[in-house]
Amino acid sequence: MIQIQNVSKWYGSFQVLTDCTTQVSKGEVVVVCGPSGSGKSTLIKCVNGLEPIEKGSIIVNGTKVNDPATDLPKLRSHVGMVFQHFELFPHMSIIQNLAIGQVKVLGRSQDEAHERGMKLLDRVGIKMHANKYPGELSGGQQQRVAIARALSMDPICMLFDEPTSALDPEMITEVLDVMVELAQEGMTMMVVTHEMGFARKVAHRVIFMDHGQIVEDAPKEEFFGKPHSDRAQQFLSKILNH
Amino acid sequence: MNYQWNWGVFFETIPSGDVTYLTWIIHGLGWTVAISLCAWIIALSLGSIVGTLRTAQHRGLALIGHAWVEFFRNVPILLQLFLWFFVVPELLPHDLSMWVKQDMPAKEFITSVLALGLFTSARVAEQVRAGIQSLSRGQRNAGLALGFTQTQTYRYVLLPMAFRIIIPPLTSEFMNAFKNSGVAYAVGVWEMVFVSRQMVEETGGQVIESLIVPTVLYIICSYAANLLMGVIERRSHVPGFIVAK
Repeated sequence: MIQIQNVSKWYGSFQVLTDCTTQVSKGEVVVVCGPSGSGKSTLIKCVNGLEPIEKGSIIVNGTKVNDPATDLPKLRSHVGMVFQHFELFPHMSIIQNLAIGQVKVLGRSQDEAHERGMKLLDRVGIKMHANKYPGELSGGQQQRVAIARALSMDPICMLFDEPTSALDPEMITEVLDVMVELAQEGMTMMVVTHEMGFARKVAHRVIFMDHGQIVEDAPKEEFFGKPHSDRAQQFLSKILNH
Repeated sequence: MNYQWNWGVFFETIPSGDVTYLTWIIHGLGWTVAISLCAWIIALSLGSIVGTLRTAQHRGLALIGHAWVEFFRNVPILLQLFLWFFVVPELLPHDLSMWVKQDMPAKEFITSVLALGLFTSARVAEQVRAGIQSLSRGQRNAGLALGFTQTQTYRYVLLPMAFRIIIPPLTSEFMNAFKNSGVAYAVGVWEMVFVSRQMVEETGGQVIESLIVPTVLYIICSYAANLLMGVIERRSHVPGFIVAK
């Protein structure tokens, strides 16, 4: 589904990604973790072309992302993305947030878009707030709406960029619950997160990044059992001690 | 103070005709409002486009926006008016140039609207740019990630919020459009400044009356603009979104 091949990227003369290669198969859940500044958020933004890459190639569902001839809006329309800071559109009600992409990009009618939107809101437990505005919801609620908005486009895979990092501890669970459900339904997911509990529960593979490189790329059991690299071991021992 | 007050002067007829000074002032007010509103429409439309261009990821477009703003913002409005009135017609092809100089209807009015509109557009553009740039980068990414094109991202995501955020500075700019319209007297539009100057001369010294009335009318116009923008601000308020109280 997602193939990342020898990807390198620079910000000016500073190299943020070095020769990253990995892939996410259909129905697979892959968690990307690593210390701050390790390039994991940058890598996931390259997958749908929000960040350009200088070297290598990224192929999503058979389409090369870093090909100038690729219709990026079309490609992105079926790759769902959820951001750290939710990024709902503040001037639209919740249901409008879910409908606008369906109407303007997929060409669905308002009625159809609203109907599908309400179903998804019901699923993430926000149906009663459909006519409120993002600013009136809590962070956890907003993030669940953001997931529903991404799902409203019928994505073939979902990208999560630190979806719980801006949330209070209590709200993290409600968002993770939605993500776990999604994973169990067989959604293809690439998730940048520090939530190792989530990784243990639903991930198939875990990727560990440091200094812009993929240091470890292993099945979950192997990663949590005995990581090959010292750096990943150090990282795990620090975050799993609490 | 040895001054002969005469508020009745407004009901006297002007030397050259059969209307009163009051009618004259009201005509002046009409021209002032017409210039200001027409210029504001130009400023808002062009300013929005140019301001948006300045934030475009395309280098060339951003450069055009930049040059526009720097030219219209860095030259005094009065000089810009003279450039449009005296210089630009000379640069046109011969036939068009003759037509502009001799036959163009309402030449003074149109030139003033153009000059004031373009001058103000540069200032509006800066505010639109600032409004867009005040939004988080994530908003643009969220729009793009949904599958919007760049244009759709501006249309549905960035501009609706940017405009809400910049209503307060836009209000000042709208009010400035009224006050700056006074420069049109310099090319002979009979707007309020022109009329009050004429009145000072023709009434033989009723300086204070001749200047106070336009002053009050300007205050009323600007304040009306302020109120109107206040209504728009309340109407477009986003629930739960706090900019400033």
